[in-house]
Parts: sequence; structure tokens; C-alpha cells
Amino acid sequence: MTEAPGLEILGVSKRFHVAGGAVQALSDINLTARRGEFLALVGASGCGKSTLLRLILGLDTDYDGRILVDGQPVLRPGLDRGMVFQEHRLLPWLTVTGNVAAALRQSRLGQAEKRDLVAQHLDLVGLTRFATAYPSQLSGGMAQRVAIARALVNRPPFLLLDEPLGALDALTRLRLQDELKRIVSDGGITAVLVTHDVDEAVYLANRIAVMHPNPGRIAAILPVTDSVERDRSEPEFIRLRDTVLGLLGVREGTGRRAAADVDRRVAA
Amino acid sequence: MTTRWRIFLPWIVPVLFFLAWDLLAHFGHADPRFLPSLEQVGGRAVAEWRDEDLLGHVLASLQRAGIGFGIGGAAGLALGLVIGLAPLLQRLLGPLLLVHRQIALFAWIPLLSMWFGGGEAGKLAFISLAAFQPVLTNTWQGVANIPGKFRELAAVLTFSRIDTVRLVALPAALPSIFTGLQSALIYAWVATIGAELFLNVAPGIGGRMNEGQQLFKMDLLLLCVVLMGGIGLLLNQAATLLQARLLRWRTA
Amino acid sequence: MDGGQFLATPIDVAAPSASAPRRAPSRWGGVAVGAVAPLLLLAAWQATAQFDLLPEQILPAPQAVYEALRDGVADGSLLSSTLVSLRRVAEGFVAGASLGVLLGVAIGLSPVLRRMLQPSFLALSQVPVFGWLPILVLLVGIDDAPKIMIIGWSAFIPVVLNTAQGIRDVPPGLLELGRVLSFSRWAIFTEIVLPSAVPPLFTGLREGLANSWQSLVAVELIASFEGLGYMMAYGRQLFQLELVMAAAIVIGLIGLLLHLSLSAIERHLQRWRTDAVR
Repeated sequence: MTEAPGLEILGVSKRFHVAGGAVQALSDINLTARRGEFLALVGASGCGKSTLLRLILGLDTDYDGRILVDGQPVLRPGLDRGMVFQEHRLLPWLTVTGNVAAALRQSRLGQAEKRDLVAQHLDLVGLTRFATAYPSQLSGGMAQRVAIARALVNRPPFLLLDEPLGALDALTRLRLQDELKRIVSDGGITAVLVTHDVDEAVYLANRIAVMHPNPGRIAAILPVTDSVERDRSEPEFIRLRDTVLGLLGVREGTGRRAAADVDRRVAA
Repeated sequence: MTTRWRIFLPWIVPVLFFLAWDLLAHFGHADPRFLPSLEQVGGRAVAEWRDEDLLGHVLASLQRAGIGFGIGGAAGLALGLVIGLAPLLQRLLGPLLLVHRQIALFAWIPLLSMWFGGGEAGKLAFISLAAFQPVLTNTWQGVANIPGKFRELAAVLTFSRIDTVRLVALPAALPSIFTGLQSALIYAWVATIGAELFLNVAPGIGGRMNEGQQLFKMDLLLLCVVLMGGIGLLLNQAATLLQARLLRWRTA
Repeated sequence: MDGGQFLATPIDVAAPSASAPRRAPSRWGGVAVGAVAPLLLLAAWQATAQFDLLPEQILPAPQAVYEALRDGVADGSLLSSTLVSLRRVAEGFVAGASLGVLLGVAIGLSPVLRRMLQPSFLALSQVPVFGWLPILVLLVGIDDAPKIMIIGWSAFIPVVLNTAQGIRDVPPGLLELGRVLSFSRWAIFTEIVLPSAVPPLFTGLREGLANSWQSLVAVELIASFEGLGYMMAYGRQLFQLELVMAAAIVIGLIGLLLHLSLSAIERHLQRWRTDAVR
């Protein structure tokens, strides 16, 4: 009862008005994330998961239902919610330092404190050496790390991630997943990750909400218990991943068989 | 609801402008020599059409613009293709042509008028030069900047030189070439008016403007302005339509 | 929703791009090759004069043009003409370009203003610039005022169009970022809209400056008693072609200089672009 409520999404529905009428994008979504929890939203494209993230951000307030952040209704974007987009959206005319510092424009801290915060967060994502580089001189992975530093520099209690690693190559993605996990758990941050990479969701999240399209709705919420070793070769990991894939309607049979195979080998 | 009044928005300024103009001309104390009423300009148009062969003047100007565009455009296209495809020529002539582009077009008028005379030849030389520059630059750049992947593709498919030009270089450069041709059309039109104003008096809209200025016929001058703007607009539209038709594959 | 495609470059650009010209000629080598054609032209010109192939009313000797330039410098007439012309262009361009930026920003930001003003503006811009000159001369006289107005108007047109387009083309993803970072409307304008409109703005300024210079020469040719354009008109009347060519050379050099200095400012302001960094 006394625990901080974190993020609450209560009966949220959203319609888009288009030329031929209206499209139901989200239908009666109920979802909460406790303080410090890592929540993943997975689903095929068009299931409304990015739309839901925009509502939590406060970019769009035209919907039915309520969204509460720490008990307060969301009216507009705020610095309590950091955001990482799929494309890095760095301002190309600012250096790496400038881009991270841009997020501190509305902060009341002094110049020295701001400088420290920026340096500290560049260090956090390992980009101190590139502080004076321009975005066009960075690789995709580096640019996305800058975007993560920018989202965190205000020390927001909430972090929203919209397929943050979706545009990166496989190796960089794996490396950044580890970094994200460390940063979020070390900072005690409440995170909401939108992704279509089931493996990524199982690897990072405490809970996974599986969404279905037309209209966008929640099909299942699966806890990722602490007993799941975060090791991609563990049978528990594989079983959970296949369950989610099954819920999404992909490779149900083969997935189960593969998991059973592994189980048998471990038992032997 | 909002869309209904939005369609009137573009008309507010012109309507107010012409209304103010006409009211000032009729009821203000403006000198009618400086501010003829709309009816006067309209009357002048009718008189010009009847007594001064207005259509003949317009056609004379258009013909000049057309011939100049043809000569200058063809020369620019040919030279642009050759330079764009031959790296050595590009390095030899490139800097000279870039400097040439910076020389103000009208600086050529005194020179050309001494070389070709102030009559028809001098005018056409000037209009051709005006059309030549944009076509040359855009063709050259378009051909020289063909993406490397297309060049590689041509190499992989072992195209002959002619096939490379026909199937790869020209189509890839076409959008840029059209941009050049479109500006050339506008330049040719502007240069036509310029040649008619600056060189010997001859039939044409510029010739009528000269008379309007010398005889202080403000209504004739305003009529010419409307004609020039209208024709410029039509040429622009025609070029845009043509370009859209010929480059349909780009929207796919 | 995802409008963040503001970088045309591929994602991994940290390494030098492979499509860069492989055997780029050295800077001085390029200059040397580029100098061949002008030198050949000059040699042919000199030969024509040497062997009297053309009458000097058609093509004066390079020597004569050089002497015209030298005399002009010596008696100060060339300098004073140049200064008159430069002052006219500066006044016209600064006025036209600054008003153009203001109107361009207004039209770019407000859809209502754009619908209201853009069609009229486009219709007006179709009239060849110096087509207005006879009317202006009758209305405000033959002194500097109509010239400055024509020069300003010819800079105004491209500046308005390019500024408005640049402001409208700001990537929606970046505008959204401004909201996510809780920027004020003013901060979104100064930190996001304006910087991303800088490249098209400069395209407009470059076009505008070139137009101003063009118009200056045109108006000075027909309606002036001083300036470089007048120098040409005067030389033409006296059949002194060397004077005409001397003025043309100065006009060309100044045009080139204006172009280069604006490009330099542009490069400085856009250090963040890789193609400009190189």
C-alpha cells in the first residue's frame, strides 16, 4: 500500500481518425510497472506498442482511460521520463556533449553541475573520447549510446525505450543490451521497453506484456522470475522465449520441441 | 468548417490590393498618369490587341525565347554530356566554366551587341547564352555524379560504352538534366525581355515596354508586367508538367 | 510517426566512405590542370591580336584590356565605380535578404499565412525582375531608389522561398524530441527549427546574392551614370571594347569573390556536416 505506485495504465483506449473513419489502435489496456521494474512490450508491428509509449510520454493526450506516473496523471512530456527513440534523433549540428547537454536546458542546476552530469553520463556509455565529435562522425551504435546518455542525464526515475536497438547490427545490439541492463538496474530505474525482439525482451525484462493487433490489446503478461538465469543457453530462458513466440503465433511446434530437447539433455 | 474559409485565403491579398488600387485611382488624389485605374489597363489591352497587334508582339517574344532556348539548351546538353563523361575534360574545363558561371549574365550584353550587333542576332546570342549555362551545369553535374553503384553495375554486366551511356548514365542524370532545362526555359524568357529592353527596338513585349516608358504610358507598362508574369507562369507550369510525365518512374 | 530520417548518410560513417574518389588529384595538381584551358584561351587571344586576325572593335588585344585596367586603377575611376556598385548591392541585398528571411520564417511557421501570401508572391515573382524597372523609374525617378529596390527584390524572392521550405522541412522527429526534452516553444524554434533550416537558408542567400549582382549589372547598364555597369555602357557607346572587357573582368571577379565568401561562411556554420568537414 505504501509502496510508490510507479507507472499505471488504466483502461486506456485510443482511436486514430483517418480519412475513411476511425481506427481502434488500443483497446482497454491495463498495465502497471512497479518502481524499479523493467517492463517489456512485445508484439508484431501495428499492435500499438509504440502508440502506447507515446501516450505514456504525453506526446498525445487524446485517449480514453488514465495513465498515472507516480500517482499523477500524464498531461505532457516531462523530464521525469527519459526517452530513447529507434532512430537516435541526435541534433546533427551539436557535438556529442552538446546533444547530451541539450536535455539539461530546462534543468535548474548550475553550469558546473550540468557539466559534471554530462561528463558522468558520457562516461557511463563509454563515449568520453568522442565528446567533441559530431553525430555524422559516429557509428550507429555510438550514436544510440549518446541518445541513451541524453535520456538519462536528467536522472529520470522512468526510462522509455522504443525499439532502441532495432536499427543496430546484431553484435552491437548484444553489447548494448548488456549496457542497458547494467545502467537500468544500477540506477534503480523503472523502464518500459518496446521491442519486437523476443530474445531481447526475455533477456532484459522483469515482466513481458505480449500485445496483439487489430485492435491493439494485451494478450498475456508473463513474469520473468528471478530464477530465470539470464543466459541465452539456459533451458528456462529458451522455454520462456518460445512461450512468448508461441503467443505471437510464430514457430509454436518447433520451439516447444527444441525446448523439450534441451530439457532432456540437461536431465540426462 | 475550417476548410471552407481556407480556400478563400489566397484571394484575400490580391482582392484587397486591386480594390485599394481601383478605389485610389477613382476617388483618391493620385495622378492618373502614375496610377491608372483597372479599367484603363483593361482598355489599353483591348486597344493594343486591336491597333498594335499585341498577339504579334507576344509571339515575337516567345519565338525569340524558343529559338534561344533551342540553341543554348542543345549546346549545353552536348557539352555537359561530353564533359561529365570525360574526367580529363572535366579537369581541364571545369574551373573555367565555373568562373564563367559567376560572371553576371548581363555583363555579356555590351560585348555580344558589339560582336553580333544589336539586332536579332545579338538578341538570340544573348538568349542562347542565358539558356546554355543552367543546362550545361546541371547536365555535367548529373552525369558526373552518377552513384558509384550504378557504374559498378554497368561494369558487372559488362555493358559497352554506348550501352552504359544509354542505359545507365542518361537515365540516372535525367532528373538533373530536367532541372537544368527547366531553369533554362525561365532564364531564356527573362533574357528575352532583357534583350528587348536593352538592345535595338524590335517587335516584342520588351519593345512595347520601351515605348510605354518613353511615352509615359503607365497602363501599357502594367499590361506588359501582367503579360510577362502570366507567360512566365505558363512556361513554368508547362515545364513542371512535362517533367512529371517524363520522370514518372521516380514516384514509384 | 518515425520522421527522423534526417541524415542521408549511411549509419556507419565513422570510417572514410569507400565511395570517395580514389585518386583525387592533389590540390595544386588540380589547379595546374584547370589553368591549362584559360592559358590556351589567352594564348589564342594574344595570337589573334598579334596577327591582326580580327579588327580591334571586335576583339581588342589583351594588352589594351590590361592597359584599360591599369589606367582605371591609376586614376581611381575603377575603384570608385566598383565601390558605387558594391554599395548598391550591399544595400539592396541586405534589405532584401533580411526582409526575405522574416517573411520566409513567417510563411514557414504559419500555414494560414502561407496559404494567404504564397500564391500572390509566386505570381509576382514570375515577372522578370527588371521588367519592373521602367515602372519604378517613372514612379520614383532615376536616382538610386529604384535600383536598390530591384536589387533587393531579386534577392528577396529566393530567400523567401528557400527559408520557408527549410522551416517546413524540419524533421518531425526532431520537433518531437524537443517536446520530449520539455523545450519551450522558443527553444524549439532557436535550437531545432532554425539550425535545421540553415542549409536551405544559405542556398537562398547564395542565389539571392548572385541575383542581386546580376540585377545590379542590368540596372546600371540602362539607368545609371556611375558604377561598373555604367562603365560597360559607356565603353560600348564610345566603341572602346577594351573598357567593356575590363569592366566585365572586374564584374566576374567580384561575382566569384562574393560567391566564395558566402560559401566559406556557410562551411563554417555547417562544420557538423561530414561533406563540409572533409
